[in-house]
Amino acid sequence: MLFMTRTLPFLFCFAFGMTGFAIYYVPHEWAQSVEREFALWLRLVYAFAYILGLVSLLSLHWSKIRQRQAGWAYSLVVYISFGVMFLFVVYNDGNGPFTSQATTGPYQWMFTSIHVASSATMFSMLAFYISSAAYRTFRARTPEAAILLVSAIIVMLGRVPIGAYISDVIPDTMQWLMSVPNMAAKRGILMGVSLGAIATSLRIIFGIERSYLGGGGD
Amino acid sequence: MDRLINIDRRIIFIFIFLGIAIPLLVDIHLPIKPTPTVRSVYDEIERISVEDADRPVLVSFSYGASTVPEMVPMTRAILRHLFSRGRKVVGICLWPEAVGIAQPIMDELAVEFGMEYGADYAFLGYKPGNQAVVLNLGQSLAGTFPFDAAGTPVGELAVMKGVRNLKDFSFVFDFAAGDSMEFWWIPFGQEKHRFPFAGGCTAVMAPDLYPFLQSKQLVGLLGGLAGAAEYETLIEAPGSATAGMEPQSVSHLIIILFIVLGNGVYFTTRRRGGKA
Repeated sequence: MLFMTRTLPFLFCFAFGMTGFAIYYVPHEWAQSVEREFALWLRLVYAFAYILGLVSLLSLHWSKIRQRQAGWAYSLVVYISFGVMFLFVVYNDGNGPFTSQATTGPYQWMFTSIHVASSATMFSMLAFYISSAAYRTFRARTPEAAILLVSAIIVMLGRVPIGAYISDVIPDTMQWLMSVPNMAAKRGILMGVSLGAIATSLRIIFGIERSYLGGGGD
Repeated sequence: MDRLINIDRRIIFIFIFLGIAIPLLVDIHLPIKPTPTVRSVYDEIERISVEDADRPVLVSFSYGASTVPEMVPMTRAILRHLFSRGRKVVGICLWPEAVGIAQPIMDELAVEFGMEYGADYAFLGYKPGNQAVVLNLGQSLAGTFPFDAAGTPVGELAVMKGVRNLKDFSFVFDFAAGDSMEFWWIPFGQEKHRFPFAGGCTAVMAPDLYPFLQSKQLVGLLGGLAGAAEYETLIEAPGSATAGMEPQSVSHLIIILFIVLGNGVYFTTRRRGGKA
């Protein structure tokens, strides 16, 4: 049993990890065909992840409805919305489910006029909350915070036309801030994150990190 | 001072609302100056239009509904530029929601510029797999997208003639609301196959991508609504991004004034020995 739950998954992980790593750098036809197959399998896993996500979402909201938890009516809205959208996807503007998705009809209307509109509205509302948060928290308490504050003001002004309207120096300074200090910091962070990801990947491939197998991180 | 520190956030919201609404109603003309990162994209499309006119351009849509206000204006601006130069365009989606957003825009602009579906442009729809799709595209486009969004085999589309994989496109452009540029397209596409690559992203993501501009893995970058407005200025076709620059300018100014006010209150209170 231990072989099936621990050893075999580890062997798969080691074999696929090492092969995937090696073939990225090998331009040989054979290596390329293996890479193609691996990528295809990965895409299948992604496709199944959508099913998993859907089942997870619906079961979570079903348990909220069944137990009448706080806000269960919103869970009901999830079910109704999902059901209505699903029906109109299958209806497909009268063409049925076995033809490509119609670009007109009730589904497209609901997607554009309800889903896109409400999602964009939620995202746009961030401007209001960011303004309030900036007023309350953006303080020049230390010299470093003061530098950050001045840089933020220059970038905010430089990114919009009013910056150039006030002075040409503002967009030029903004461009310098983005291209030099920002770029240097981002590159450092990116390299650090990448080295961390490589180290973690090697730990998983060589079986040092096994928490993904379940049963603790031994 | 305490009242100023604990100002009701609804007052800030009202100022922001007015800062956005009034410039939408009253025309305050502010000149838009394109930045070098945006100009590079424009120059690259102009260059390939002259030097590499036969091969099509691949545009990838990696955004969803929530980022439509930022991403759609730049989608329109880039496609408008490509179609106005008579470039053949192939569109793909790496985010499922992008299909319903991008396809109507492509179709609408194609009609405006007299482009014919199949001959001048094609829309291949969505495939799941993120970076795995990019890996497969580097090997075989027809293997990755065997059919277009309408179910036509890609081999029957004239625009796909001579296109086997990513290397056969003159230029690739990614519209990204997530990490598709730095974690999908650059490591698994551009870095492996060395094609000219540029992108457009939300404003909040743009600073993350500057290292790739310096390394030339990105030819150029459109960041947020401001990037789209700069592009509209370059192609001399002002649209919703240009119109959005005035409210955005005023709202930025209001946020800055509130930050300055907040700091003024903070330092005054601290000097008096209070807590802020």
